[in-house]
Amino acid sequence: MEMKKVLIIGGGGGGLILANHLDTNEYDVTVVDKSDLHFYQPWFLYIAFKGSKRKISRPIGELLKPGANFVKDEISTINLNERKAYGSRKGIYNYDYLAIATGTVPDPDQIPGLRQVYDEYGDYHTSVWNSEKLWSHISKFKGGTIAIGQSSPTCKCPPSLLEGAFLLEEHLRKVGLRDKTRIVFFTPFPRAYPAEPMNKIVEPMVHERGIEVMPFFDVDTIDDQKKTITSLEGESLKYDLPIVVPPCRGTKMKIIPETVQDEDRFIKADKKLMKIEGFDDAFAIGDCNTLPTSKTGVTAHLEAMAVSEIIQGRYSEFNGRINCPFDTAYGKATFVIADYNNPVAPYPPTKVKHMMKMTMARIYWMTLMGTADPIFEQFFKFTTPEKLNKKYASAE
Amino acid sequence: MEAKIIDSRGAACPGPITDLAKAYRNSKVGDILELWATDKGVRADTQAWATKTGNEILEVKEDPDKIVVRIKINKR
Ligand SMILES: Cc1cc2nc3c(=O)[nH]c(=O)nc-3n(C[C@H](O)[C@H](O)[C@H](O)COP(=O)(O)OP(=O)(O)OC[C@H]3O[C@@H](n4cnc5c(N)ncnc54)[C@H](O)[C@@H]3O)c2cc1C
Repeated sequence: MEMKKVLIIGGGGGGLILANHLDTNEYDVTVVDKSDLHFYQPWFLYIAFKGSKRKISRPIGELLKPGANFVKDEISTINLNERKAYGSRKGIYNYDYLAIATGTVPDPDQIPGLRQVYDEYGDYHTSVWNSEKLWSHISKFKGGTIAIGQSSPTCKCPPSLLEGAFLLEEHLRKVGLRDKTRIVFFTPFPRAYPAEPMNKIVEPMVHERGIEVMPFFDVDTIDDQKKTITSLEGESLKYDLPIVVPPCRGTKMKIIPETVQDEDRFIKADKKLMKIEGFDDAFAIGDCNTLPTSKTGVTAHLEAMAVSEIIQGRYSEFNGRINCPFDTAYGKATFVIADYNNPVAPYPPTKVKHMMKMTMARIYWMTLMGTADPIFEQFFKFTTPEKLNKKYASAE
Repeated sequence: MEAKIIDSRGAACPGPITDLAKAYRNSKVGDILELWATDKGVRADTQAWATKTGNEILEVKEDPDKIVVRIKINKR
């Protein structure tokens, strides 16, 4: 019997974890990515705010288990009705099962004036190159106002925005510039951290460190001549150094039928099974989908694990678990933990959690291969949002 | 006038405000937005949002499976 073909578009966290959890004796697995390299995106923070030179990429081909194939190609069109994907370099791909895991695309052109700021200053969310660019500005900075934040509510990794402000503050204090600098953190959300229980934990730190917060600040336009950011809500913010994470969108690919994408090109998928709306043989995993959860590596990971089970004929579903590490600087961190049925727990930052975040950065490559699965299983078992809420939320 | 439904049920972090802010960007004066959410924080958050942006909460009602917030856009 011919092996069933599984086509995975995107060799990021979601795509690789799926590929590495499929039995290659039973399935013909191919990962297609437009890039040869996979990047560990959480480290962008440490490049941008600490000047880290750590190498954070590895060739995708080397991160796949034996038997799974890698093809470098950019997919331009997918026809879900005909089960075909069209590459811009290597032609047509057929499949029995399809998983789209293409992440997000930064879109600085959505906001007037942002393109110029983005090209000039970089950011801490979109690439190694942009993070290095931002570091070059931060390391040359001599004092003044730094405006830092996300320019649109849709963003990867919700804690990372405030992590940036915390790490920036720590850096400025270290180099003796804290007294000469105003740090203004702007956010489209009602408070520094969108989920209230976690905000309760981090807001005192924000105050203590003198970081000013402008809530409900949804960037409308930026004028780099006048060095001003204006919000949709009508406020304006003057800066000397702008650190603006651009809006992001779903995939650029054309997908037939078009109705499976929302107005920002994210792919509509079932929130537990990740099946693309109206299809049983096509899935959308990770940042590229519309699941009502945070866009993080951990969710991409758990979604991919569930999809691998579903494809292999076993029952599984994703429960919405998020587990975002949150570096609160000065050597401490916490995790934002919740799932579809349980709200975010007010989990306090500690040194041990910071060590865990740093360990994660080192064992990341193992997690892609699946060899760290037992560690994760244990951690998730001991840190369910029910348990954490019982322990920490009821203590209030 | 028919309300534009924003279905944020199940969203907890960053939550329904994400969807509301997105819909606000694409709205015009006079539009009615109807936000559906399961996150309890939605009441206080939409109220604060409306005060800040100068828009109006017409109604907040609790259905068995969701909280519905009807919002009138007065300012854009
Ligand atoms: C600053 C920062 C900090 C973060 N911190 C954390 C953290 O601490 N913990 C956490 O869990 N998550 C974190 N994240 C989020 C995490 O990095 C992403 O959620 C995760 O990488 C998503 O995985 P993905 O597989 O969906 O997409 P990606 O990893 O982005 O992969 C998408 C892949 O698809 C490829 N691709 C795109 N389009 C095409 C096409 N048309 N054809 C072929 N290939 C294509 C791309 O080249 C890419 O390799 C952070 C993100 C940032 C930016």
